[in-house]
Amino acid sequence: MFVLSGYDALLIFLMLSALVPVLALTISSLLRPKGSGAFRTTTYESGVDPRGDSWIQFNIRYYMFALVFVVFDVETVFLYPWAAAFNQLGLLAFIEALIFIAILVVALVYAWRKGALEWT
Amino acid sequence: MTFSEGVQLVSFIILTAIVLGGAAGVVLLRSMVHSAFLLGLVFIGAAGLYVLLNADFVAAAQILIYVGAVNVLILFAIMLVNKRIPTDRPVFSPRNAVTGLVCAGLFALLAVCIFQVPWQIQEPVAMNTVIEIGKRFFSEFLLPFEVASVLLLLAMVGAIILAQREYIPDRAEGEPEPLALPERPRDEVDTTPTGRR
Repeated sequence: MFVLSGYDALLIFLMLSALVPVLALTISSLLRPKGSGAFRTTTYESGVDPRGDSWIQFNIRYYMFALVFVVFDVETVFLYPWAAAFNQLGLLAFIEALIFIAILVVALVYAWRKGALEWT
Repeated sequence: MTFSEGVQLVSFIILTAIVLGGAAGVVLLRSMVHSAFLLGLVFIGAAGLYVLLNADFVAAAQILIYVGAVNVLILFAIMLVNKRIPTDRPVFSPRNAVTGLVCAGLFALLAVCIFQVPWQIQEPVAMNTVIEIGKRFFSEFLLPFEVASVLLLLAMVGAIILAQREYIPDRAEGEPEPLALPERPRDEVDTTPTGRR
């Protein structure tokens, strides 16, 4: 038995959002010219001619971004019930959540100082 | 059967088809990237099944953690490994046979377990589970909640230390480089406009 409410709106939202890419591709296929040059099948690479293979080895540096992201993603899961119950919890819970965030700010500062957030 | 039950049945069938089809695609597709994206679809389908089971917080956590984090990490790992799988591997190799046997055995074990356990099925209660979990976090589970942030801090520090591979040189100036295990060679950063991604 299903007791959660409000999911009929989600269902309609999912149907409508599934329609968006379908409509976008259909309408553009009606409007675009039907040419088939050699450039049409080349990989799009920011407007310049693509070089080499599309399957390249990415720098290990990007894995650091992913790891930092995962940590703060998990943090979100813990903070989400706190945010949902915020009105019923009171000041003490606010301070406790601040302690939680402060410990993770230490992690962010560590990542920053270690250069894990440097792009180049 | 009421209208709402019909919608639920159809949703269940669609979600199960997504999960089973996606899982088959993860195993059978040749390209690792396609498999990884299909794995994300499987996770989303599982989240939908959780919603059908009245577990909205579990569904949200499933989307956040599995689709948002785990699948992204898997995709990153695939992009970093840079290994092309040869496409002409035979489908029926001894290795695949052993893998299939182990998977079939695990499936049979789980199926037997599921049918033998006398599940205590309760009538679902209409309440906001997220708010309830939030209240419990700040009353009886406060210490685990705070320890979780310390655990996340440790995970971040450990991940950065492992990923950066820094070390303190234990040799004096002028000594030759010590012999080391072969590692993936470091790439020089390509500074041409097209090289940067």
